[in-house]
Amino acid sequence: MRLSFWEITPITLFVIFIAPVALVLYSLTGEYSDNWAHLYEYVLTGYIINTVYLVAGVSILVSIIGVGTAWLITNYNFSGKNIFEWALILPLAVPPYILAYTFTGLFDTFGTANNLIRDVFDLGREFTFFPKVRNVPGAIIVFSFTLYPYVYLVSRMAFINQSRTMLEAGRTLGLNKFETFYKLGVPMIRPAIIGGLMLVIMETISDFGAVDHFAISTFTTGIFRTWYGMYDIETAKQLASLLLIFAVTLILIERYSRRNASYSNAMSLYKPLFLTKLKGIPNTLAFLICFTPIFIGFLLPVMELLYWALNYKLDFFNEKFITTAWNTFYLALMAAFLCSILAVIINFSIRYKSNNYLKVMSSFLTVGYAVPGLILAIGVMQMLTYFDQSFVSEFSNFILTGSIMGLVLAYVIKSYALSSSTIEAGYQRINSRVDDVARTLKTSGWALLAQVHLPLLKTSFLTSMLLVVSEVIKELPATLILRPFNFDTLAVYTYIYAAEERMYDAAAPSIAIVLVGLIPIIILTRMIRTSRPASRD
Amino acid sequence: MNFITKLITILAVSFVTIASSFASEVNLYTSRHYDSDDALYSKFTDETGINVNVISGKGKALMERLASEGSSSPADVFITVDAGNLWKVQKDGMFQSINSSTIDSIVPENLRGPNNEWVGIAKRSRVMYYNPVNVSAEEMEGLTYEDLSNPKWKGRIAIRSSGNMYNQSLVSSLIANNGISATEDWAHRFVGNFARKPEGNDRAQIMAVANGEADIAIANSYYIGLMLSGKKGEEQQAAARKVELHFPGQDGRGAHINVSGAGLMKNAPNADNAVKFIEFLLSEEAQSHIVNNTYEFPMLESVASSDLIAQFGSGFKEDQTSVASYGEFNPDAVKLMDRVGWQ
Repeated sequence: MRLSFWEITPITLFVIFIAPVALVLYSLTGEYSDNWAHLYEYVLTGYIINTVYLVAGVSILVSIIGVGTAWLITNYNFSGKNIFEWALILPLAVPPYILAYTFTGLFDTFGTANNLIRDVFDLGREFTFFPKVRNVPGAIIVFSFTLYPYVYLVSRMAFINQSRTMLEAGRTLGLNKFETFYKLGVPMIRPAIIGGLMLVIMETISDFGAVDHFAISTFTTGIFRTWYGMYDIETAKQLASLLLIFAVTLILIERYSRRNASYSNAMSLYKPLFLTKLKGIPNTLAFLICFTPIFIGFLLPVMELLYWALNYKLDFFNEKFITTAWNTFYLALMAAFLCSILAVIINFSIRYKSNNYLKVMSSFLTVGYAVPGLILAIGVMQMLTYFDQSFVSEFSNFILTGSIMGLVLAYVIKSYALSSSTIEAGYQRINSRVDDVARTLKTSGWALLAQVHLPLLKTSFLTSMLLVVSEVIKELPATLILRPFNFDTLAVYTYIYAAEERMYDAAAPSIAIVLVGLIPIIILTRMIRTSRPASRD
Repeated sequence: MNFITKLITILAVSFVTIASSFASEVNLYTSRHYDSDDALYSKFTDETGINVNVISGKGKALMERLASEGSSSPADVFITVDAGNLWKVQKDGMFQSINSSTIDSIVPENLRGPNNEWVGIAKRSRVMYYNPVNVSAEEMEGLTYEDLSNPKWKGRIAIRSSGNMYNQSLVSSLIANNGISATEDWAHRFVGNFARKPEGNDRAQIMAVANGEADIAIANSYYIGLMLSGKKGEEQQAAARKVELHFPGQDGRGAHINVSGAGLMKNAPNADNAVKFIEFLLSEEAQSHIVNNTYEFPMLESVASSDLIAQFGSGFKEDQTSVASYGEFNPDAVKLMDRVGWQ
């Protein structure tokens, strides 16, 4: 059998992308140490209960915030709408652990917020107004308000490209505004929502920083406790494998549930959007619904960080900062561009070759996102050192491990899930008849991709770049372990201080992360806004 | 596409930058991150002409990188803030002996590896802080870690979570001296005396004592220096002034000691430079730089601790338990803390 470019490329990428994950899974074939008995008897149940509770809470809250705000922004005109449209993405620039630190700084017994209430109402020291936040509900809020943009972005993109005709038919048949939303609008974009939700879930289960700060024992904190405390990385990897299996199961269930459904528009007829203008109470409500997530997920932490930075440490912004910010920025752009291109190629191959094996393979490419960052980073590192020791160093002095190229490769592997889910959602909305027409005209694969699909995928491509850029800017574990000597990114600076819980010192680099992250967010959202086919609203 | 051309250029430039290396250098993998350490490394370069290349990161992650790179690792020196990590690298056979009579004469035997694979470069003690308003100096007199399981301290103790390596080292040292079952019995009652669910870092425990949320906090010695220095803001400075420091076990074993330490990698490409670097870290100049910036205790006797920490009494009795044993008992300590429900 002769394989074409559209089969060889995805298979090659599959092998490289899956290798680090396979190295983690490989631990399952090894020995099971006595530590398992200990884990099983004393802590595992607690880890699982907390993790499930966390995932359920975050999923519900994130769906409400993400889909609700996207629907409002796409269909209505209300006060502040033009700002909310892009500002709703801002929390992407805030890593969950930063919001966790902000929360404890504000709401701990002697935190800023409680002290303020005591001062204003002249109450005693024993009086505490705000509930404790170092618990699972607190963590649910932290994750939901930093991660909802994943759902918002894909929902917004899907709503923008949604056929008006069907929604209008719904209204004509007597559905009210709310029914149109949840009976037609939401079900039609279900794959997009679930795609976004998957990312949120994977990021939640694999997070260490925020839950560790709140001292909540989750599956992932358990993995690190086993590794760091019991010096048992094998058992830690076996635990991580269970997380992987959980993620794969989720993905399979999701695929199975929509195996026969098609979500592309019946008619590629795009009417310009007519936005309903809201007045009075609905206007205020819409404003509040959009403002609250931005306030909690972005304004609150940024204000607290600014306060810390201004009071304690400004000398961070020197010439070294420029180098560091530049390092961060170009690494992020490089990884984002590569990731998005690869996602397009793989998704195109699946469609073009309508090969079921490729389809199944591609869904596994994203599972790495569910592994705690450091564990995946170790997989990537082992793969790179293997390459180095077996052939790369034979040909040159060049060593992949600890090179910029190795680092970018690690980012691409880690963030591929972000690109893939966005591009896949984009492809689902391109009617397959477009391809049929192209085939009838004997168009080559390259021409179909470059001249037909890419222009239609512009929104998805930009969204994918945006997601990867904001991910890489925040990325830490792979950066720490794989970077060259004397090479820092902004996240490394934040870590160096945050590791010692010196949050005042970490504030300035954290703000820098947010600032550097804002540039692509603003540019790309402008491009996304004007990308609806056949309309400029 | 112009964009792609630019990306490729950037990529190429980065490679060249990284490929160019210095003739004389020493490569550090370190999990110690203090701003002041950069200044220290520059001093070394000024004095010797040897460039210092640094990768900082989490101790355990760096250890995996060392293991994975194996004999092709560029690392010369591994620096970390916990003796347990040094012990683990030594046990995995990734260090070589440091041959330096200078170093042998400075660092006591209980603060280095069995064959001088690694040495402590600065000391810290895990001490008690108390609020003199609620606890008298007489009550604290001679108080040991073991005494804190006494029911009289119920609801009065603040300490951070068991995930923290300083707590793990402390419990390991208790296991080394008292055995597992006695320590478990102690830990069980000790946890019952907590004033609150463990939360926050060491400084948060000191703040809790200053605020009156707890009467005794267990935290590392250098934090009080850091807080008193005002580098952490007025609020922490004010809180630090309200508390007193107590060195535990002065009538017995002495106060628990841990080290920041450096080890020499087995396959160090620049082993001679590495030894020079470690000797430099133990020099008078480097030692006084360290104690005045991080408020740790010096390894070199001729250097005095910072005034901010010396005021609580220098020359306290140090526990002579070998710090290497912390690594050995660390897994036991973690499991023990799981069993007694120390969060």
